[in-house]
This record gives sequence, C-alpha cells and structure tokens, in this order.
Amino acid sequence: MTVSVMVVDDHPLWRDGVARDLAERGFEVVATAGDAASATRIARAVRPDVVLMDLNLGELSGVDATAMITGELPGTRVLVLSASGEHDDVLQAVKAGASGYLVKSASAEELVDAVNRTAAGDAVFTAGLAGLVLGEYRRMAATPDEEDKPQLTERETEVLRLVAKGLTARQIATRLVISHRTVENHVQSTLRKLQLHNRVELARYAIEHGLDAEPEA
Amino acid sequence: MHIKSDAEGPSVLEDPVAHLWRGTVALRVVTFLFALGNVAVHATGYERQWLAWAVIGVMAGWTAFTTRAYSRESGRQPWVVLADLVVSCVLMSLSPLAMTDLQLLANVPLLTTIWACGPAVAAGALAGRYAGAASGGVIGLCTYLNRGAMSVDLVRDVVLLAGAGFVVGMASSTARRSAVRLAQALRTEAATAERERLARSIHDGVLQVLARVRKRGMELGGEAAELAELAGEQEVALRSLVAASPVESTVDGESDLNPALQILATQKVQVSTPATQVMLPAVVALELTAVVREMLSNVDKHAGPGAKAWVLLEDLGEQVVVSIRDDGPGIPEGRIDDAEAEGRMGIAKSIRGRVALLGGTLELQTGPGEGTEWEVRVFRVGGVR
Repeated sequence: MTVSVMVVDDHPLWRDGVARDLAERGFEVVATAGDAASATRIARAVRPDVVLMDLNLGELSGVDATAMITGELPGTRVLVLSASGEHDDVLQAVKAGASGYLVKSASAEELVDAVNRTAAGDAVFTAGLAGLVLGEYRRMAATPDEEDKPQLTERETEVLRLVAKGLTARQIATRLVISHRTVENHVQSTLRKLQLHNRVELARYAIEHGLDAEPEA
Repeated sequence: MHIKSDAEGPSVLEDPVAHLWRGTVALRVVTFLFALGNVAVHATGYERQWLAWAVIGVMAGWTAFTTRAYSRESGRQPWVVLADLVVSCVLMSLSPLAMTDLQLLANVPLLTTIWACGPAVAAGALAGRYAGAASGGVIGLCTYLNRGAMSVDLVRDVVLLAGAGFVVGMASSTARRSAVRLAQALRTEAATAERERLARSIHDGVLQVLARVRKRGMELGGEAAELAELAGEQEVALRSLVAASPVESTVDGESDLNPALQILATQKVQVSTPATQVMLPAVVALELTAVVREMLSNVDKHAGPGAKAWVLLEDLGEQVVVSIRDDGPGIPEGRIDDAEAEGRMGIAKSIRGRVALLGGTLELQTGPGEGTEWEVRVFRVGGVR
C-alpha cells in the first residue's frame, strides 16, 4: 500500500522540492500547504497518512497545526521537518502530538526512511530530539511546583542517552542486550508520557480558566 | 524593523541627573527668598544697611545666572559650580562688614544665610558624594571664619552642609549608573531584534536555496555531489549560527553553554542539547567549549574521513555532562598511554589538564571498532541554579 503524504512548508521552493523527491520514491503526495490554517483544513479533507510539517510558518505556527491535526485525525501522523536549532518549537510540536523530528539538512534517504517509519507508527527519534526530550524530563524534575509530572525509568534514560549520542536502535539493542523491539518501545513510551502529560495539562488549564464549556469543534 | 520612537520610554540622551539640577535651582530660588526676608527683618539693626542691600542685589543676580546655567546641560560645568562656591563664600564674607559685632555674637543669620548651601548641592549633583561633601565643608569653614567663634550651632551647620552635599552626590552617582545600565539594556535589545530580523531573512532566502542545491546536487552525483556537500556544510553552519542565540553573560559572570556548543554542529557533527539554557560560570563554559572543540578536531584527525560525531549536553542540576562520541575505528588499547609518554597528543595534556582544572572528571570508552566516547562531567559548586 502506498503511503500518502502531505507537505507543509511556507517556502515554495523547498515544498515543491520535497514533494517531488517523495513522489519519485514512490510516495503519493496528496497535498501541499504553505500555512498552518490551510494545512489543517486540507488535512481534514484528504486525511493523509503522514504530514511533513515545517514549524516556521508565520502567524499560526506549525505547532498549532500539529496539535489540531493530531487531535482531530487519529489516522494521520505528523513528522516535523524543521531547521535545526528551533528547539523550543520542536519540543512543543512533539508534546502536541508529532511522532518525530528530522532536521532539514537530513539526506533524501534519511527522509524516505523517516516517512516510512512514521507511517508504520514508529517514533522518529533523531539524536537531537532525544537530547531535547531528556532535557524536558529533567526540567520538569527540577521544577518543584509542577504536579503529576511524568518521569523516565532508568532504562528509558539509558536508551534516550544512547539515542542522543547517535547510536542506532540496533547498536543500542546490542549494547544493552535487549531486543530491537524493546528499544523502540522504550523510545515510544518516553514520547507518549510527554504527550499524555501535555494533554492533561491543557485540560487542567481549560477547566481552571473556564474554557471547557465551549462545545467540541 | 520596528524602530522605537524617541517619544516613548525614558530617553537615553537626557542628562540622567537632570532632576537633581532642577532641585538645585528650586533650592536656590527658595533660599534666596529666605535671605531676602532675613535682611528685611534685620535691616534697621545693621551697621551698614546699604552693603546688606547691595549683597542681596548681587545674590539676586547670581541666583538668576545659576538658575539659567543649571537649567541647561551646557551650563552644568565644573567652572560654574566652582564660581558658585567662590561667589557664595565672598558674599558671605561681606556679612561681618554689614553686621554689628553684637549681631554676629547673638547668632543673627549672616547675609547669605542658607542661600550659601547651593554650591554644596550643585557640586554633589555634578561630581558625586566626595565633591558634594568637600564643597559643603568649604562653606562650613567659611561660616566659621566669618563668625570668628566656634559654637554648637556652627558645628551642626557644617555637618548638615557636608552631609547634604554627600547625599546629593550619592543620588547623582546612582542615577548615572542606572542610566548607563539602561543604555546597555536598550543596546542589547536593539541588537537582539536586529539579529532576529537577519535570522528570518537568512532562513527564508539563503538557507532554502542552499538546501535545494545540496539535495539536487546529491541526486545528480559526480562533481555536482561534491559541490552539494560543500553547500550542505555551509547550510548547517549557517543554520546553527542563525539558531544559536548570542552567548549571554549575566552580571555575576555566568554564560550559557548551550548556544556555544550548538554552533559546533556541522554536516558531520550533530549536537544535541536541552531546549533550556545551561548556565555555568563563564570561564567554565569557555573551557568546556574548548575541550569539545579539541575532541572534535581529534575526531577529524584520527577517526577517518567518513567518521561522524555526536555531542550531547545534559544538565543534571548539580552537574553538567558533555558526551562526545564518534563512529570511527576507536583507539587501540595502549595508544593513548603511548602518546602521553611521547607527549605529543592533544588528549594527554590539553584535555586531561583542562578537565582537571575545572575539578571535573573525564571518562573514556573505546576499543577497536567501537568508536570513541568521551564523557566530561563538571560539578556546580554550592548549587548554582
């Protein structure tokens, strides 16, 4: 079955380039969008398997679009494809439900592989993202007033550190003498806990500020 | 770009102690009126009434002159304040000629009375607390010479005069210092805004083109691929440069290690950091950056042409950990020791020495075919966070 992809980026040169690269490699590029609002609208209509999301979109950011798409379309996964260094935005997008992050400087092979893995439901954990997620857990641990904060198990910390140091899942499996699948599960679980916590926080914020009375969109 | 108009916010251009000068002028005018009233009350008892009124006339003229001078920035000059001090003392010294000895002994106010405190306040506003105190002291001394006798009242006047000059001087220094800080903050803000504007335009233009060149070049292969690789290296370097916020150092000498490490990223070096700042004493941050650079250049020299490297920065609160890993052939057992014995390898002296000086620890994990992994750990003394 071919994987359907939607490319969201505000820069036409880049957007069309990526779309063509993916089409050449057998993906079905079902739509492109240049801003967050139309990205959300189009995604609702075409329901792609994977949305390749740039975060630097101007007024409404890619983080907002990621939150809306992953919140409304359970069958659609968002892979963030962004410039390196937009750390805070990447972290926010991942917390909002994106299932991975790739820097724009990644090679075509890496991109193809990442899209395939995202479509298969795996997390695309680059070294950079692992560093960010580790940092986020530690930030939460060091913040005294944050309630019910998620924590990493010792094993999860170990795995994340190795991912951040550039080891592949296979190398990690060999080093820790566990199965490849177990490594993937650990990585997935660190993301899921973060996303769940984010949803709980949002809900709590909504209730505290009386936003929960609004009807569901 | 958004440019702040001069109308909003505090102006950097105005004299930061302008308010003190306005106060000095007001004090001058009020004390002159007091002196006028004093002479009017005691006039009939004076030995030379005409001299008393002449002194009042000069005081009026001098008050008008200093009011004009102190009200504009160009008039707030050391020579004006010095002249103010001299004129005040001279006018005060005419008092014994105009007044009877009995009046002097009976503590009837001198002709200049409290009007003479003006130069003390002006000197404080102009040049700080010591100048203010000194000027007040001079006026006090002059008062003593004219009275010809020491009394409790006199000592009190001297202390009040010197004290007033001192306090105004302190207020003046504080105001100037905060003006300098404000100017610094505004400059930093402007620089940051400009940097953001540049970053946006580079992101939207140059970077997109470089990325496209790299992608297409790689696909075409051959010579184009070589060019693509060069474009790619520049792309990564430029991205990191644009993304990394300027290295900030705080007042207590701390700086953020995070951006310092981020700009070391290249096509072959990936840098992973937390999204938050990693504040360390500036010296420590600088040394750690140097250590990482050294290790990366070691990777370049010894790990082979295709080797990649990863840098991971972790903030554990009490300690900060930097890991550097490469996927090269690794260092065979004994080679580091050999090199150390020969005294030529960078690792031996430079890295170990630097880490030891920081009071940190250095761990090495390597072996043939395993790549090389360093872990540098430094400790925050006394809980920096």
